[in-house]
Amino acid sequence: MTLTSRRHFAWVLFAIAAIVAWVVDYALRIELRRAEIVTGLTLFIVVVFLTLFNARKKLPFLPLLRASTWMQIHIYVGLLSCVLFGLHTGWRVPTGTFETTLAILFYLVAISGIVGLGISRWLPARLTVYGENVIFERIPALRATLRREVEEMVLESVGKAQSSAIADFYDLRLRNFFQGTRYMWYHVIGYRQPLLDLLSEVRGLERYLNAEEQAILAQIVERIHARDDLDFQKARQGVLKGWLFIHIPLTYSMLIAAMVHGVLAWRLS
Amino acid sequence: MPEEAQSIKRPQRWDVPFWNESAEFEIAPMTEEEVDRLLQIPLFRQMDPTRFPKNTSLRDILLNDGRVRKFRKGDIIVRQGDYGNSAFIVLSGTARVVLDKLSDRVTGRQEPVRKSAFSAFAQWWQNPKLPEVRHLGVKSPEREAGHTDIIARTDPAVFVQDMNVIIKDKRTVDLPAGELFGEIAALSRTARTTTVIAGAESEMLEIRWQGLREIRLHAPEFKDYVDRLYRDHSLKNHLRETPMFSHLNDETLARVAAVTEFLTFGKFEWYATFTKIRETTAPDRIQKEPVVAQEGHYPNGVYLIRSGFARLSETFNNGERTVSYLGRGQIFGFEEVALNWMKKSDLPFQRTLRAVGYVDVLFVPTPVIEQHVLPGMPESELPKPQPVSIDKRSQRRSHDKIPPEMMEFIVERRFINGTATMIIDMDRCTRCDDCVRACAATHNNNPRFLRHGPIEDHFMIANACMHCQDPVCMIGCPTGAIHRDSTHGRVVINDLTCIGCATCANSCPYDNIQMVTARSTDGRPYYDQATNQPIQKAAKCDLCSTQITGPACANACPHDALVRMDMRNVDKLADWLKQR
Ligand code: SF4
Ligand code: SF4
Repeated sequence: MTLTSRRHFAWVLFAIAAIVAWVVDYALRIELRRAEIVTGLTLFIVVVFLTLFNARKKLPFLPLLRASTWMQIHIYVGLLSCVLFGLHTGWRVPTGTFETTLAILFYLVAISGIVGLGISRWLPARLTVYGENVIFERIPALRATLRREVEEMVLESVGKAQSSAIADFYDLRLRNFFQGTRYMWYHVIGYRQPLLDLLSEVRGLERYLNAEEQAILAQIVERIHARDDLDFQKARQGVLKGWLFIHIPLTYSMLIAAMVHGVLAWRLS
Repeated sequence: MPEEAQSIKRPQRWDVPFWNESAEFEIAPMTEEEVDRLLQIPLFRQMDPTRFPKNTSLRDILLNDGRVRKFRKGDIIVRQGDYGNSAFIVLSGTARVVLDKLSDRVTGRQEPVRKSAFSAFAQWWQNPKLPEVRHLGVKSPEREAGHTDIIARTDPAVFVQDMNVIIKDKRTVDLPAGELFGEIAALSRTARTTTVIAGAESEMLEIRWQGLREIRLHAPEFKDYVDRLYRDHSLKNHLRETPMFSHLNDETLARVAAVTEFLTFGKFEWYATFTKIRETTAPDRIQKEPVVAQEGHYPNGVYLIRSGFARLSETFNNGERTVSYLGRGQIFGFEEVALNWMKKSDLPFQRTLRAVGYVDVLFVPTPVIEQHVLPGMPESELPKPQPVSIDKRSQRRSHDKIPPEMMEFIVERRFINGTATMIIDMDRCTRCDDCVRACAATHNNNPRFLRHGPIEDHFMIANACMHCQDPVCMIGCPTGAIHRDSTHGRVVINDLTCIGCATCANSCPYDNIQMVTARSTDGRPYYDQATNQPIQKAAKCDLCSTQITGPACANACPHDALVRMDMRNVDKLADWLKQR
């Protein structure tokens, strides 16, 4: 099955499931049955099922369908859970502190899921634009190497040219650039102005250097670009990895709250 | 658990002699007296022992790389389709070569041993926490026998009941005492082309391919003998399997075989210069590849690829554009020769054929094709007549599907060698490393590939063993630790017989083997008693051959970004690329 036909098939299944859920809910309501118990329980089971995706990832040695199939199921069943949530709450914002908290948790999980999906589809293609595709865990080591190389060049410039022009500039502008982790969010949104500003300052310095210093500065500029590429990778790969650290804990919090909600609803009914 | 020895003796070639390698069947140890007897066989008697180096004498090769096996009448000695790591010499009795295919049920062809569902699940808590943990200091009967779950599976002889009935309608050839067989599969690291059954109570000398290679290297008469055997035994079969010769009767085929030339282009050790060549410019690289047949030249015959790879290119502006690549069994030049014959024209070769690294070809001259092959050929097999030249559109078929830059990339970097090349679509890959974690979880917590590698467009060829058609990593291995598994031909490493010499890692042109330091369960490295150097082992992707799931990496990717691709299947590759 091609990726496109798989998507069409999944949408059709999703639409059927959503319509069935809506019809059942409607039928129960017009018969004045407790539709919210049915939708609530179904929703809970569906959310528990959604968390199994994470468990499957921990068991790659068992023949439990491909993770990509799980992913597709996770996406469409996740969307279905939104429909079930709407039916369960009657498409209204719940009243009561606990219910409101639970609803907010659900919204956050759903939004983080949808945003995460968007990020996973949108960012990877944009990651290949700048720099090498470095492995995330190697970025700190690569950054340290760049910093060390630049510091050696700065020292070399002082020795060779008997001038502190590059060293002063390093202290003033480059030390922070090579040591810090600033402008990370700019990289996420692709805003390049800080780099362009820095490069323009470097060009400003260049005219006051002799040939030897200019050669060293040219090498430093290469490192600036390399460092910028690394920061770009770090920021975007970080977002790609990081959203799960929001989505998963929120899911578990929501599950616990949903269980409490279920017990309370059962005791009070 | 007892405290494990930290300082051990470094494993050596021939620590596990061939007769002691298999845990599946009993073989008598090779003795000096037995070797004396073997040296009297005409094949060995004619060799000059002084040509062999002192540390790998002919006697030592037979002692350590040879084993004598006994077969009952009807026992299967080698099976068609299995990957061979050894050749056989008939000592007594006969070997019956079955030229036609026998069914898997008859030959008892089996899948390699996989983990049970429980032992697969048990990896969850049994995997060591530390990297590269081994139990090298612990002695156990299994270890002594070299039996682990990753060892080559050498099946005990399977008995073909009612042999006479089963092979009644099959074409067979009997090999008497003194004859050699199985050498082609063993030396070219390819699958066995025929099934061989013991025709009577028989005794065979089996030599593993490392020993065979040494003999071939130091005894020129042996090399000539192997070439002669190929012409006598296999050439006709090879030709018969090629569609363009399939309509010929035995007699005509023999005539064609008699004039077929064996040609070799490029260096067998192509991997030695590969890294250097990679650094040159693209036009330089292509010009350095030996030309098999040149675009614009008279089509003097048809070329059939026997082993290795060839690049198909055409002139484009001032350079050469890669159109496709050819591998084992594919032919070049037939359309031109056939069209000239049909239309009485003089169409030259439309493309250039070059050796990518190394290629072995069979060459059948045009007059032979015109006289014996074309006249009786069914019309459906003949090319469609074209108005002026061969329709360039047909050449561009693979072009259309695989973008030209991608084609150049996979051919030039020789990724076409892979049967399970790991390709990652970087536009879908979220760098989540689920693939790497899945690999680690299925390999004692040690990932066996790097999610890193050269990228073309948005496709990365990751540093994962590609399970090559021509696994040059196996060439220098002195112990045979790196070998093909017999059923699927996957390239796997027997951790116990690996002596950590790094020959394979240095030979792999794709940098897909890592040398790792073996550690005990408490994380301390093992050291060699004699040199005090750490004990190293070669490690690489084994395509999860012992897992019940198949390759964990591809299964674990949630974004459908990663695939293991057989590069021989150009259409499948093109379809996959096109979907992205
Ligand atoms: S280790 Fe290297 S040469 Fe050997 S099969 Fe794997 S990729 Fe090919
Ligand atoms: S599992 Fe798939 S998406 Fe994740 S790193 Fe591997 S190839 Fe990329």
